[in-house]
Amino acid sequence: MSRTPEDTISRGLPGETVQAAPRTRREARERYRGNERRQARGLPSTSTGARSLRQAAKPGASLGAGYLGLGAAVLAAIEAVAGIAFFLVRAPELTDPWLPAAAWALYVVAAIAVGLSLMTYGERLTGTAFALICVVLACVVTLDFVGIHPEHDLAGTASASVAAGFALLPVATLRPAREVAGAIVVLGAAFVAMALVSTPITSDTLPGLVSMLALVVVPPSIALFVVHRFRQLVQRELDRVLVQSNVQAPQFAVGMLASDELARLDLAAEKLLDAVANGTDPLPLSDASSSVAASLATELRLHLIEGRRETWLYHAITESDQLGRSVTVTDPQSLAGHLSPAQRDGLLQALWQMVGDGRTSQPGSPVVSVTLGPIGSDGHPVTDERMDVPVVFESRGVPRRRLGPTAWSALQRIGPYTDSVRDGVLHVVAHCVVDRHPTM
Amino acid sequence: MDFLAQERDRLLRSTTRVVGITCALVSVVAVVSSLAVPLVPLLAGLACIAVMIAALALFGVHGSVWWTALALASGLAALLLLLAGTGPDLRPVVASAVVPLAAGSLSAPLMTYRTSLVGLGLTAAAGVVSLVVVSWATGSVLSAPVGGVALGWVLLATVAVWIARSIPRVARRIQSIGTAHRAERQASETEAQRRQGARLLHDTVLATLTLLAHSGVGVSEQAMREQAAEDARLLRHLRLGATPQPQQSGDYSLTRAEESPLGQTLESVKQRFGRMGLEVSWHGTGQVLLPTHVLDAFLLALGECLENVRRHAGVGEAHVTIVHDQETVRAMVTDSGVGFELDAVGAERLGFKESVVNRLREVGGDAKLFSAPGSGTTVVLEAPR
Repeated sequence: MSRTPEDTISRGLPGETVQAAPRTRREARERYRGNERRQARGLPSTSTGARSLRQAAKPGASLGAGYLGLGAAVLAAIEAVAGIAFFLVRAPELTDPWLPAAAWALYVVAAIAVGLSLMTYGERLTGTAFALICVVLACVVTLDFVGIHPEHDLAGTASASVAAGFALLPVATLRPAREVAGAIVVLGAAFVAMALVSTPITSDTLPGLVSMLALVVVPPSIALFVVHRFRQLVQRELDRVLVQSNVQAPQFAVGMLASDELARLDLAAEKLLDAVANGTDPLPLSDASSSVAASLATELRLHLIEGRRETWLYHAITESDQLGRSVTVTDPQSLAGHLSPAQRDGLLQALWQMVGDGRTSQPGSPVVSVTLGPIGSDGHPVTDERMDVPVVFESRGVPRRRLGPTAWSALQRIGPYTDSVRDGVLHVVAHCVVDRHPTM
Repeated sequence: MDFLAQERDRLLRSTTRVVGITCALVSVVAVVSSLAVPLVPLLAGLACIAVMIAALALFGVHGSVWWTALALASGLAALLLLLAGTGPDLRPVVASAVVPLAAGSLSAPLMTYRTSLVGLGLTAAAGVVSLVVVSWATGSVLSAPVGGVALGWVLLATVAVWIARSIPRVARRIQSIGTAHRAERQASETEAQRRQGARLLHDTVLATLTLLAHSGVGVSEQAMREQAAEDARLLRHLRLGATPQPQQSGDYSLTRAEESPLGQTLESVKQRFGRMGLEVSWHGTGQVLLPTHVLDAFLLALGECLENVRRHAGVGEAHVTIVHDQETVRAMVTDSGVGFELDAVGAERLGFKESVVNRLREVGGDAKLFSAPGSGTTVVLEAPR
């Protein structure tokens, strides 16, 4: 037996370098986070929350896009009806009305086919389907262009080809923005080329051409913008709703990731021990197996001694994408655990309001810092049953005048507060009166 | 919903701003390229459009109805100036150039004012005026520019209704995801508590894993296998949701009784170390009832001490003497091993502070360590009853 006094917690063989065990809790946590099975948010990848977040962040079709797409389809349909009316009014003047008519027929048939397939197979559009739609739209545009070329008046005669731009509206809700932007650019270029080829560019025709080009290009571009903002909204709301579940958490919690981790470690230990017991792993153990045992022991020990030292606030901030990036919490005495659900809700709401939309700050620099405690300081009395926890916010995210009534009523729910502005930093001190012996 | 309503308004406001400004800029390009408007009305019209763009930009930030009014007024003024300033023969050309302005920029505020009557009324009035102005300019209600303007209004109104309706729908879905998530969080917290509560089980698993980390050196192969099989069985029970019950004397009792007798659990500690080659002799009382959390801490600390003896003392035997009075229970762990210089080897390095002292202090107890090179080691553990 080695004479060297050795920590009983330590693992690993002398001189072993293969699997350095995490030395600190933070390091261990970082390592688990790096594991691709997990997400950076502190949620196990198989949980409903993590799956929804992944789905919302995926390019292309995402949460709520289906209904938005239906609205875009209604827009395209309205435009098509107007376009067909426009075409029918102009048809007698055209030398060859049949090609644009064929373009319209193709457009309508394709639109119905796409609509039916979406209704049958759900709100998804594969890459192949998107390519097919682009080919059909190209045919529509070509037929229309060939048909109206003899008129030498693009702005006055194009109809089905303009509708092709609107056809991209519903597509914008289902496909990644880059692909749709590519289609818009190609369509715009086709119109410019056609204008140069077919129509004499004079000060009489140019305004109409510019208006028409705008009619083709601007709506789908705005659709891309709206879809982008809508997705941001959905992601923020999802983030917020998922984080909100911490409001009901007990005073101390291990968090979903740690719990998942513990189950995984127990399972790994069980497998290893089983392998030793039935002789699959012969004794004495190989270096590889013993280092697995060592790291399992370390991780398991970390998880067990980690205990329930973290409060709901810590979990809320680490699990949230947005809050995690812009909020720092200082709570050495774990006072957040004492807050009642209503106070927690107020605190979270106030944080969301102060963080704003997160675009004003440089990445990596927290815009809000929250400090809980120390208890017993001046003006914050403590009795046997209750204590007044100072909750101090320092917010650089959103200027004071931009904080709406929602933010102030949220702060009010934490407790009576005072606020001041120094050097552009908003300071809020709330008196949060809590039970010293919470039942949660 | 408060938060979401805010987000929805922000989305609609920024869409209003983008649509309004883009369409106004398109009209500017079209009007300038037509070369039809005389210089003075052109400059006046462009100035009005500039005011409108500024008002829309500010409106996107603040959302005040006054900025909308200003944007609508300046937009209509630009429309009138540009059309009236142009001669009748060129007026239809300019009319086709201002279609984006009339159809997009003036109708954009529709999206923000679904519910506010003042804003909606103002915008609708602006819509009627712009339709009348464009019809007058083209000389016909059925001309293409009038159709374009009407189409723009219909489209924008649809967009406004649809975006506003999409958001509550997606909010309901998000809420149901949130409900599922809350249930999952509670379940996972309960599960973590159950697993962490099985501290004695994890203690024996950890001891076995630590042995395996040293390739099981120092323990007979058969004993190692038995221990591993036993621990794997306990883990399996834990995984399957059962609370592992003792089936033979080598098991720990993991029932969460309010108080557990010390004696039977001491016997299991003895058996575990016996399998690993350390003979533990008990002296003193066997039957002491301790609260569960105190018992856990006490046994874990005791197990750590014995593990240290097994690994560092260089002897095959350790003595544990247990005494108790009304307030406390004490255990004295002694070995006649190599001992060590207390100052030379920090207690931290033995894991003593973390695994023994801190555990006992958590439940109101304490531990003391006595040793000298060549004269063995004694640890005194104390825990309240």
